[in-house]
Amino acid sequence: MAVDESHAPPPESLGADGTGPKPGAADVPSFADDVVTPCGRLLSRIWEQARDTAQAADPHISSCPHCREAAEGLSAVTAASQALRTGDRPGLEALADRVMNIVRAEVRLGRLLPLADPDRALRIAESAAAKVLRQAADRVPGARAAACRFVPVGDGVDLRVTMTLAAALDRPLPDRIHQVRRSVLRSAGQDLGLAVTAVDITVVDVLEQEPPCRPGLTPGGA
Amino acid sequence: MIDTAVALSPGRNLGGRDLPDGLLAVRAAEGDEEAFAVLVQRHGRPLLDLARCMLGNPQDAEEAVQDAFVSAWRRLPEYRHSAEFHTWMHRITVNRCLTMRHRRPPPLSLDTVAEPAATDAWGQPARSAEQKAATAALVRALGELDTGQRLCWILREVQGLSYKQISHVTRSSEQAVRGRLFRARRSLQEAMGPWR
Repeated sequence: MAVDESHAPPPESLGADGTGPKPGAADVPSFADDVVTPCGRLLSRIWEQARDTAQAADPHISSCPHCREAAEGLSAVTAASQALRTGDRPGLEALADRVMNIVRAEVRLGRLLPLADPDRALRIAESAAAKVLRQAADRVPGARAAACRFVPVGDGVDLRVTMTLAAALDRPLPDRIHQVRRSVLRSAGQDLGLAVTAVDITVVDVLEQEPPCRPGLTPGGA
Repeated sequence: MIDTAVALSPGRNLGGRDLPDGLLAVRAAEGDEEAFAVLVQRHGRPLLDLARCMLGNPQDAEEAVQDAFVSAWRRLPEYRHSAEFHTWMHRITVNRCLTMRHRRPPPLSLDTVAEPAATDAWGQPARSAEQKAATAALVRALGELDTGQRLCWILREVQGLSYKQISHVTRSSEQAVRGRLFRARRSLQEAMGPWR
């Protein structure tokens, strides 16, 4: 079933949320079982517009009696579906607690890393050490650690840290990376007692600039 | 890579509540439980809504979402970020719901829907009898839809996802999504005829 193009101009866009048809893609029925109204509109398109109410892509639809009737055909479904969207819902807390209890019971320690202790008898789980070093990186304003891995150097207790980072761009990156490296090295030595010889940092994401209430940062958006 | 940047709060919660999903997922993959807890809090509610609509009752929905999160935790080390965490988590939940539907019959029969109760299948306080009946009829009609149509309708109408997001979750084209959505609306419109 085809529709007269001149009689049924496609709505150019149904909005910025990506729900609308692509321009030029709406001239013919999109699906074999679509229905064309007496005024030449596609039922699927009328319904899409009726449900994406923020936009008035095709003014004809709101003024044409055929289209209005077609849109109203969906009203009972719309009214009943309201309860599925807005009703009071049981809390998430109990579910979240159950999930986290299972998660915490499945200990995922990773490798055991040697501490810089003369007897070489002490070890720390890689996941625990990574958590502490991520926190050290996070303490630098405008930096947030993502991955944190450890690579043994030589046969002793020396380790190399590889870290990925999300960083704000309100200051030169090298300064910030330098600060993160210092913070991580200090924490590795003082908090954990690891012999970290180097920290390799890769910036993998950009953080939006922090709000102006923090001292030392330029006010305003990025 | 990773996902869109988020504004950092002045309080700088080191627990990670202000961090983007992608970064939290990387941390969780390395065994950071706190990062995973933030993801559970952030995505649990919409996933519960999705599962409740797919399965028809809150108990099964909780079980499905719990299983989905535990499965995600176990699979995070292999998660390659080719899809956003949001999309990946939706897929896991949908698959879990489909498995559960295969395992048991649709839970909402005519009899259970007709029973008066202080709270309905959605855990809501009693509304007017007509509203309740209409919602029950919609739930029943949803249960009779083809799985793909039901999923697209729920993702659009209950979750408010864009066609693009739905196409990512269902691994189909936006055109296919629009087709399924149209057919779902037509079937539901017919089923809800008496309530017009």
